[in-house]
Formats: sequence, C-alpha cells, structure tokens
Amino acid sequence: MEDPNLLDDEALVRRTQNGDTQAFDVLWQKYSSRIYSLIYNMTSNHEDANDLLLEVFAKAYRSISGFRGRSSFYTWIHAIAVNMTINFVKKRGRRFQMSLDDLDSSVHNDKEFIELTASNTPTREVDLAELQQRLNEAMMKLSVEHRTVVTMFDIQGMPHAEIARILGVPEATVRSRLFYAHRQLQNYLEEFRKK
Amino acid sequence: MMLDEKQVQQLLKLKRFEQPPPGYFERTLEEFHRRQRAEILRRSALQIWFERLSSSFGNFRVPASAYAGAFGMFAVIATLLGTGIWTPDAANRNSSNGLTQTEISDSGLKLTSRGEIQLSRPETKFQKNFPTIQPSDASRPRYILDRQPVSYQPPVSF
Repeated sequence: MEDPNLLDDEALVRRTQNGDTQAFDVLWQKYSSRIYSLIYNMTSNHEDANDLLLEVFAKAYRSISGFRGRSSFYTWIHAIAVNMTINFVKKRGRRFQMSLDDLDSSVHNDKEFIELTASNTPTREVDLAELQQRLNEAMMKLSVEHRTVVTMFDIQGMPHAEIARILGVPEATVRSRLFYAHRQLQNYLEEFRKK
Repeated sequence: MMLDEKQVQQLLKLKRFEQPPPGYFERTLEEFHRRQRAEILRRSALQIWFERLSSSFGNFRVPASAYAGAFGMFAVIATLLGTGIWTPDAANRNSSNGLTQTEISDSGLKLTSRGEIQLSRPETKFQKNFPTIQPSDASRPRYILDRQPVSYQPPVSF
C-alpha cells in the first residue's frame, strides 16, 4: 500500500472517505498549522484557537463523506475554519482576554523586522513584546470580517482570489475590506504612538 | 510620523512569528484522536448515519436530466388533457361504477346509482345562523313556455 505522506490531497480525501484514518492524519499534518494560525490571529487567544482547531478538524472529518471535490480540500477546510471562528467571535462578544503565543526568536533575523525597527517609525520606540501587544490590540478593534481578510492576506499571504473563494464573496469586496482595514489599523497604531 | 500602509503590512507580517510552543501540533493530534474515540463511543450508530445522510444532502444537486424528465411528463399530461383522450372526470366516473347513491357531506355533491353526479348548493353554518338576502323569484328572469307549441299553420277553425 502506498505511503499516505506521498499522496496528493485528492487521494488523501478519497482514502479518508474509505475509512483510512491515517490519510486524515496526513491532512492534519499538512494543514493544522495554517488553520491554527488563521484561528489564532482572528481570536488573539491561544486556548480558543486550540479548541476551535480541534472542532474544525472534527467537523471536517465528520463531513468528509459529503466532500465532492468541487473545490480543493485546502479551500474547503479553510471555509469551515473561517465560518466556525466568525460564529465563535460573534458569540464571544467583547468579553475576552488576549492570550498570545510567544514570538519566535527568528524574528530578529527577519529582513522586514530589521528594516522596520531601523527606520524612523513608532516601532523604533517600543520593545518587541509591547509592539506585539499593540498590534494585537489594534487587530482586535477591527470587525471580525475585516480581521479575517487581514489575517488571510497580510499574515498568511493568500492571494485575493483564494480569499474570495473561501469567503464566497467577490474579489472586489476582499480588496475594499483590506483597504478599509489597513486605514483603520493606521489610525489605531497612531493612537498608540500618542499615548 | 504616522505609519504608512506599507509599514502596517510589514508590521502585520511580524505576526507570522507568533508561534505555539514546539511539539504543539503533535500533541494536539493526539488530543484529536482521543476526542474522536470518545465521540464514537458516545454517539449511537443512528446519529452517525443521520449526520452522514444530512451532509450528503448538503451537497445534493438536482441532475440536469431531471429537468428534462419533468418537462416531458408535463408535455404528456398536457397533450392527454388537451386532446380529450383522458379527463379527470372520466376517470372519476369509471372509478365510481357500481356504487349506490352517496352523498358527500358538506360538499353538496350527490352520486346517484346511475353514476351521475348531482350538485346541490350546501347550506353553510354561517347561512344557518345569519340568513342572507337572496334575490326573490320576481327579480329572476323567467322563460314562459306556451302550452301549445307555436305553429305557422292556420287554425283549423278558419
């Protein structure tokens, strides 16, 4: 029998539909970190992201028998994650506490980070932990719809077309939400600078 | 100095470096397996079957041939009715052969032993309680027939 790690998503989905749980484990290994990042950046809370990650994969596993491959597995599971997280965030409301993951130490070697902190910007004046806190607070001030597109585009690096497919909206909507969200983030971060 | 859009985007990219602790995804996969096993034990076979059925229906699409089939059925029925080969009345008469006189309560329909349907106006409860004004016989048009048929032949007495 072929090693599941060498199979593409389509074959892995087919095997899972036929009851091969190992094939689904491979899908987990491929996509769990991306789905976690999506949920984490929409919730700014590690524990919530952990619970939702498990729920998203549990739902995907239960529903995979009905998956007909009209979209890629990647798009399908991202759509599940986005819908579940938006529902969760709306239910949660404003009462929540941020619980942030640690910044990976490799950030100090990141070209863009070096460029950002070297320039004459507000980021030069704050330390890294404070910057992370401010950035997350600004993100949480966005509406969940705007935060979703910022997460997918700026943090996860997805193209507009893919985001539009996952959200089921026109590409123009994605672009306009991004434009508006960037403007709002500029304003929020400016407020921090004045504090 | 305010951050420009490019700087905001650069800042957002820093969030990629926010990572869960090492080994997190392996541990979470184990937790996923544990929950899956617990769920299978908790849920009955009927629930699992129902969930699979509902997820299948979620993806159900009407095949294109169904539209053609429905149109074909419509065309056949329309042709039969239009040409008078088959009418619902005829079908009802055929099915009521051999029955004695039957009255269908409230509807005012009466089925005779000859298979004919007689229609009499049923009196509703409302009419019993609140009699309404009906047009009198005088106002109805009358057609008076002579006792002797009209003839253009001259009377015998002449």
